[in-house]
Amino acid sequence: MVDAILLIAIPLGTAFLLGLLPGHWRGAAYALTLAALAVGSAISAAWLLEFAAGADPREIHTAGAPPPFAIALRIALAESAGLLLVSLSALFAALYLRDTLLKQGRRAMAVLLIFAMALSGLILTRDLFNLFVFLELTVIATGGLVLLSSDPRALGAGFKYLIAAQLISILLLTGLIFIYHAGATLNIDELAAISLERLPGGTLAFFLVFIAVVAELKLFPANGWALDIYESAHPAFSALVSAAAGTAALFALDKLLAGGTAWLPVATAIGCVSFIGANLFALAQDNDRRLLGYSSVAQLGLLVVVVGQRDLLGEAYLFVAGGILLAHALAKAGLFWLSGLIEGRDLTAWAALRRRPLLLFAFASFIALLIGLPPFPGFYAKWELAHRLAAGGHIALLALILFGALLEAGYLLRWFGHAVKGTPPEQGPARAPQKMVAVHAALAGGWAAGYLWGELSGLGNLLHALPLLFALAFLPLDWLPARVKNSLAIAGMLGWFLHAYPGYDPLQLIFAAVILPGGALILLASYQNGGRRIGFYPSAMLMFAGLIMLIEANDSFGFFAAWESLTIGSYFLILRGRRSQAHALSYIVFSLGGAFLILAGFTLAAQGQTQLPLSALGDAPTALAPWVFLLLAVGFMTKTAAIGLHIWLPGAHAEAETDVSPMVSGILLKAGLYGLFVLLTQMGSQQLHGIDLTHAMLWIGALSALLGNLMAIFQEDAKRLLAYSSIGQMGYALFGLALMNHLGWLMALMFVINHFIYKSMLFLSVGGIAKRTGTRDMYRMGGLITLMPLSFIAVLIGIIAISGVPPLSGFGGRWIFYNAIMEGPHRLPLVILFLAGPIAFLYLFRLIHTIFLGQLKDEHRRVREAPFWIILPQMIQVALLLGFALVPGLALRHVDAYIGGLVPGGGLDWEGLTITSAFGYWSPVTIMLIVGVIFASLFAWLLLVNRRAQRVGQFNIVFAAERPYRPETTHFAWNFFAPYRKALGFFTQPLATRFWAALTDLLHAGAGLLRRHYSGDGQTYVIHLLAFVVGVYLLRMGL
Amino acid sequence: MDFDWIRIPYALLTLFIVFNYGLLLNALIAKIAARVGRRHGIPIWQNYIDLIKNYGLRSSITHGAMYYLGPVFRLSGGVGLLLFVPTIHGSLMFANLSFAGDLILALYFVFFGTLGMALGAGESGHPHAAIGISRGLSQVTAAELPFALAVFSVALQYQTLSVSEIVAAQQGGMLNWTLFTNPFAVAAAMLSFLGSMMRPPFDVVIAPQEIPIGPPTEYHSSYLALMQTNRAIFPIAKVVVYMNLFFGGATSWPLFCVKVFLIYMVSVLVGVVFPRFRVEQSVRWFLVWALPLGVVAILLV
Repeated sequence: MVDAILLIAIPLGTAFLLGLLPGHWRGAAYALTLAALAVGSAISAAWLLEFAAGADPREIHTAGAPPPFAIALRIALAESAGLLLVSLSALFAALYLRDTLLKQGRRAMAVLLIFAMALSGLILTRDLFNLFVFLELTVIATGGLVLLSSDPRALGAGFKYLIAAQLISILLLTGLIFIYHAGATLNIDELAAISLERLPGGTLAFFLVFIAVVAELKLFPANGWALDIYESAHPAFSALVSAAAGTAALFALDKLLAGGTAWLPVATAIGCVSFIGANLFALAQDNDRRLLGYSSVAQLGLLVVVVGQRDLLGEAYLFVAGGILLAHALAKAGLFWLSGLIEGRDLTAWAALRRRPLLLFAFASFIALLIGLPPFPGFYAKWELAHRLAAGGHIALLALILFGALLEAGYLLRWFGHAVKGTPPEQGPARAPQKMVAVHAALAGGWAAGYLWGELSGLGNLLHALPLLFALAFLPLDWLPARVKNSLAIAGMLGWFLHAYPGYDPLQLIFAAVILPGGALILLASYQNGGRRIGFYPSAMLMFAGLIMLIEANDSFGFFAAWESLTIGSYFLILRGRRSQAHALSYIVFSLGGAFLILAGFTLAAQGQTQLPLSALGDAPTALAPWVFLLLAVGFMTKTAAIGLHIWLPGAHAEAETDVSPMVSGILLKAGLYGLFVLLTQMGSQQLHGIDLTHAMLWIGALSALLGNLMAIFQEDAKRLLAYSSIGQMGYALFGLALMNHLGWLMALMFVINHFIYKSMLFLSVGGIAKRTGTRDMYRMGGLITLMPLSFIAVLIGIIAISGVPPLSGFGGRWIFYNAIMEGPHRLPLVILFLAGPIAFLYLFRLIHTIFLGQLKDEHRRVREAPFWIILPQMIQVALLLGFALVPGLALRHVDAYIGGLVPGGGLDWEGLTITSAFGYWSPVTIMLIVGVIFASLFAWLLLVNRRAQRVGQFNIVFAAERPYRPETTHFAWNFFAPYRKALGFFTQPLATRFWAALTDLLHAGAGLLRRHYSGDGQTYVIHLLAFVVGVYLLRMGL
Repeated sequence: MDFDWIRIPYALLTLFIVFNYGLLLNALIAKIAARVGRRHGIPIWQNYIDLIKNYGLRSSITHGAMYYLGPVFRLSGGVGLLLFVPTIHGSLMFANLSFAGDLILALYFVFFGTLGMALGAGESGHPHAAIGISRGLSQVTAAELPFALAVFSVALQYQTLSVSEIVAAQQGGMLNWTLFTNPFAVAAAMLSFLGSMMRPPFDVVIAPQEIPIGPPTEYHSSYLALMQTNRAIFPIAKVVVYMNLFFGGATSWPLFCVKVFLIYMVSVLVGVVFPRFRVEQSVRWFLVWALPLGVVAILLV
């Protein structure tokens, strides 16, 4: 093997060599620089492979003498990975900076080489004084490289940095002197062995070195100078500072803490404050590079937490720290490099990426890397970290980290929203091949790291999951015409269903049938879209892959990974709507919040077991079980939009595209119900402080049903009306589940099927109508029945089914409901549910009346029926509804028997045509026949006596002896239920919306106010730094 | 309960009896209401005349398919409701078609006619029809609530959803009626009953002085005749449900006639005394006065 000391010697030597070259040999100097960095990368890579194969750590002693007479270096697995990261970052930075370096000449190149060398030294060294030397070199090189930027503020930023760095150096040097005085050695390993704390003055000495290294990590809040550098330096250098310098400083801290385990909690605290504080401040930020600076500070803070929890993490330490570090470094480098291609500095300027789909994909990948979404390394690492923290009893820390992560996801995805939905400028991003190479290298590195961490995790590599691979396969296929991709998607979904369904139990089968053939049915409507529809299929298939993996998951990891996948997929899908930017953000923030609760619930239940079988959920320790239940239930209820957590739903469902709304409403909402099913079957009822949690769920379900329905009746927008109706419908299903009896669960399953069919059908109808009329406001429509008869039939059947009027399938749901509540012990929540029931009539009638009945507007006289591909799935759904109404037993009797295995007793008797319960009976076919015969006879009678009726228009009406003015003024539609608003409108006060709005406003305003302490003034920053040092010391000593 | 073809003619016989009784009862009640107002009132056979006249009218128009079907839905709702509930207790002959479903079927089938009628009236394009429907639907949400609670309370009390079994449980003397065994439920249900009978103070739906008869504004000739037929059948069908659930059912036709008349008269008595509520007033009235009774009924049972 090549000696690792070359990693220091080569860049140093090359830097000297560059000085000997003639000044005008810029090309040669540049080639030499690249070569040096490439050789460094190759050496690091070779070492990494060596250690990955199981080689022992290597000690390197300069001059062949043992320490303290020589400088000691060490290289092992972690060091070699860190070195590779540093050298590759520097190599790509050099590539990226090609024009700048060629312009500035060999001196700039030499400084870059010195920078890379110093960082490598920081990683390798085992000597504190040597550490100091390399830190000084880093500082000097930084001071030089900052000036590569064309931004005039860079000069000031560099100067402020130098002031701060001097202070840090003084602290470090003083600390070194004290340490040497106390311990008579500066060798890190020897210091670790003698436990410095016990020596006189040792604590202070260690503190000074510790705080200097922490300050070098640029942690919040004493980091104003660093933020100015991130903001104003050349993006390639900012990338280097964030990815490589951050990595090196982290190695330094890690080495230092080997001898100061008493300081681990301090590191944890500082890291935690940094993670949350920086993420909070980033909320109010609209400059992209400064935002990345905040994000870097936050990520390094999280890594310091990981270092602080080293003892707890044990053998998983490297896996966790490595995963987060790698994700941070790749994403941050990639994002800074991308920012160099973007003209403006405002977040909205990133809309330019829309002109380059590949770059947009890279952007999405980097954001996902940072947030820690699957299948990237941060996901596996955070999963492991959360489990260890929970098992170690560090619940508060876990909660804080999850809170910080949610803040981070919030601002990163808002940024992504700007990029996807903003107006792209005339000019796309600059085309610079060498810059592209860097970005694409980071992108490839991110995915490769995802694969690697999946392999290392021992939990099952997500990039081996077939459904996920199927979804990802649509990325390279995105150039195909949309209709071809649509056929592929439908074939894939049906194929998977046919392949997998024999293995499902009846419960899984019902959900899988809704997801796969159901999804394929809705995808028929997507044939309507021509062109290529870039981005639609990867997102949709990611959602469906997540959904089906959720149903098939057997353990907590598989379940959670599927949950995150479906959440991301659906987010991308919702974001496609024309005006959905804000709503998609609200959706993803709520969903991730819910996902984090689920994560917390799983970790509490698992007690360190990272792959908890779902069937073992019920084995959670008694003291924790109610909390596990609560966390999981609230997480799942976020997805079903239970009242209070519902505010994301109306906008997200209403603003989505025509074929997306039925997917996210008819299918996606069922993921939450499935989760609740799993939870309740595994954990049963739980008591928390004497409160029966399923009883609380009954109330939440009932209130969701009432308030969802009430809000639906006051909507003017047809899709919003349907969206609010979903909140109500999910409330019913939640109520059924929370009844905790056989029929309650059966009713919930019936809702799963019914709600899928009628809600997706109604969303398609309304979408088709909106396409033709150009509006979603119902009062602008009217009288469309004759022009759009098929859409009318779909809506008519849909509303009869929802309202529960016999003879359609909705009645079956109501009948089971009544039988279920006969057994339930809780009666008060029923009052609310009974009130909610008839209110559904109000919005359903409004939907059909104001769109199809009443007066046809003049501007709609030439409107045609909705497009064929949108009508086709609706007609199939009409047939399904009628079929399900006639023979509900076909689907339900097996499920009934299956539930009988879980909740014995109280089942239904399915003999013959009549369905019998302990209390009553019901015969769908007979009812259909009787109603049919009565209806047909009376109709025939009317036809007979009224055969000469003359067809007249809607406007030909008797109107108090006057002629009405125009159809537009005669259609009674706007504010249709005005009296109801007077009577019960107070129920629809947007309390939940106000609460969440106030909370986010508070966070934003707090961030806006507090970040003013970054005054931009160098002296202030020095005071911050000093205050930070004193503060940490006092807190540590006071502990 | 098995099906037998003979049930069909029996059911038609029930329908025939109720239809005629309904026509006469409506006229009688109109007459009583007129007498309260010191008027003479209509002849007792007036409804027959109106019906024959309307079926006989030759000039008629239609505003479209739903408009045409509206009255058909309405009457199917009335006939269906009547036939899904047993009329005479203990008589297989007049158990009608109740083998198809239980109490829940009857409760939800009420909406079949309402919804169909609302759709038909909606297609007429007349704003008064739409206003009437808006009012009617608003009011029914609150008015139905106490009734639903009362029904649930009764079902819990007798531990069954079968109407026949509920009636059977009340046999053996007046004191066995739900009226006496579960008075809160009956009180709640009877207040709800007021709201469903289209009489003052809850007749804002058809409010003749404001929106000339509301939903049926555009209906005439045979459409109107169909609806008049329903007006004879539907209220009685509804009263039969009340009679079966709360007042011991009826074991013979004479008893049936008396009980139906008396229950019907409750709404008439209230109606001739009180002026009309606005919609929001009646919604609040049901929630304030009737709902608590219903809640007490389900908590006490």
